[in-house]
Amino acid sequence: MKKVFAAALGILTAIGGFVDIGDLVTNAVVGSRFGMSLVWVVVVGVVGICLFASMAGRVTAVSGRATFEIIRERLGPRAAGANLVASFAINLLTLTAEIGGIALALHLASSVEPRLWIPVAGLAVWLVLWRVKFQIMENVAGLMGLLLVGFAVALFLLGPDWGELLRQAVPPSPPGTEHPASYWYYAVALFGAAMTPYEVFFFSSGAVEERWTAKDLSTNRVNVLVGFPLGGLLSVAIAACAAVVLLPAGIEVSSLSQIVLPVAQAGGVLLLALVIVGIVAATFGAALETALSSGYTVAQYLGWSWGKFRRPARAARFHLTMIVALLLGVGILMTSVDPIAVTEMSVVFSAVALPLTYVPILVVANDPEYMGEHVNGRVVNALGTVYLVIVVVAAVAAIPLMIATGAGS
Amino acid sequence: MTHGPRIVDARLHLLSRQVLDVDGEPVSTVDDLELRGPDGSEARAGQEAHVAAILVGPALVTRLFGGRAPTSRMPRIAWDDVGHLGTAVELAVSSDGLDADWVEHWVRERLVERIPGGRHDPEGDR
Repeated sequence: MKKVFAAALGILTAIGGFVDIGDLVTNAVVGSRFGMSLVWVVVVGVVGICLFASMAGRVTAVSGRATFEIIRERLGPRAAGANLVASFAINLLTLTAEIGGIALALHLASSVEPRLWIPVAGLAVWLVLWRVKFQIMENVAGLMGLLLVGFAVALFLLGPDWGELLRQAVPPSPPGTEHPASYWYYAVALFGAAMTPYEVFFFSSGAVEERWTAKDLSTNRVNVLVGFPLGGLLSVAIAACAAVVLLPAGIEVSSLSQIVLPVAQAGGVLLLALVIVGIVAATFGAALETALSSGYTVAQYLGWSWGKFRRPARAARFHLTMIVALLLGVGILMTSVDPIAVTEMSVVFSAVALPLTYVPILVVANDPEYMGEHVNGRVVNALGTVYLVIVVVAAVAAIPLMIATGAGS
Repeated sequence: MTHGPRIVDARLHLLSRQVLDVDGEPVSTVDDLELRGPDGSEARAGQEAHVAAILVGPALVTRLFGGRAPTSRMPRIAWDDVGHLGTAVELAVSSDGLDADWVEHWVRERLVERIPGGRHDPEGDR
């Protein structure tokens, strides 16, 4: 019974933890401009993140080595160092976007200016990192993030023409008013949002935090294979809400209030309040994960002591790195840069960095010295290779598309 | 598993591996190795040599950008302190007594321990 409960908890937190500010913004923007015609990208992205997150979790559970230790060991100090600089920069951008997301959501709820919320949000994130037990942190944020189910409820309350939504999705038919380059630009952004590298750093290091061993492999698989696809459904619901309400009205999403507009229209104040709590929890959870990831990547590359399960004094440089990352994120936001714009940048640059993270994981998952009998099977390797091609294509295409479309405008 | 002498490739199995102390706490990465000749002098190409120490910290800079720092300036972990070689290099001593880990000790004592809650055990009840 206890085991079933633990499994259910793991799945629920995976659902709530899947959606972050990147998924929220990108899905709403895409829904409002392209209808349901990019849903296939969410499906591709979810399968990809399932594949690589479970692989990273398996590598760590079996070998005890987290992802960036492996990247350093396999690529050597130079290539891994370049990888670290890129990953850290993108991670910082994502962290900035998430803190901005918390501030925007609290602004919606309170109408206190976001810039007053930013330092509060940053401090709250740090306090949780400093004090709270890893499991409690993960479960609370994940479970409250489930309130984003409000988007799915809103979709049903809106009573859309389901046949029309399906027609937009299969086969994908983008509206004729949009340029194909913009369509592909947002396809890459959506892919980057679904497969953001921090999820893998966090997932593999989290396996160490929770002291996983080879015995926990089945739990790992169930959490990922059930939780992430359900989280992907939430993403699709967000896009569908935008497609039903914002697309016909010709509203292009540029603020959080527009993202939640369909929810307010369908479910009134009560549903809106629940969804806002969900957004705060989801972005707060993701801010924790990205802040931790910034510490994980640096500490693992340099071999420092790391982990939330240790006393802060026993992982001093790890905690110092996270404090510096948080201060940088808050500092960037206080220049009154638009958090939504930061989010859009972060998902595109995530797409650029994808191969740096995913190639070494695939290599090590095939190394019997690390994995023993738990090396990748043929099916996983075939899928992994296919995804490697997709990931490289998306990474190479991202910047040219960004320039060609003027960042999608 | 094979028994008897085990062949270890220094590049493949030592460089850039994680170093753990006797309690499993990460200490550093193997940034470079100090090789010594049979008589304890500096190792020369073509002669027999053994690993005398693991170099950490500034050794990473010379690995990244080339060049040589004076060996006396390199924080080192004596090879005699190494207990076991697996997917990580496991030491037989605690990190608290290692001079090579001085940066961690400095950050711990000067900064992190001074922030309230710095010694709080997150896994404990309170």
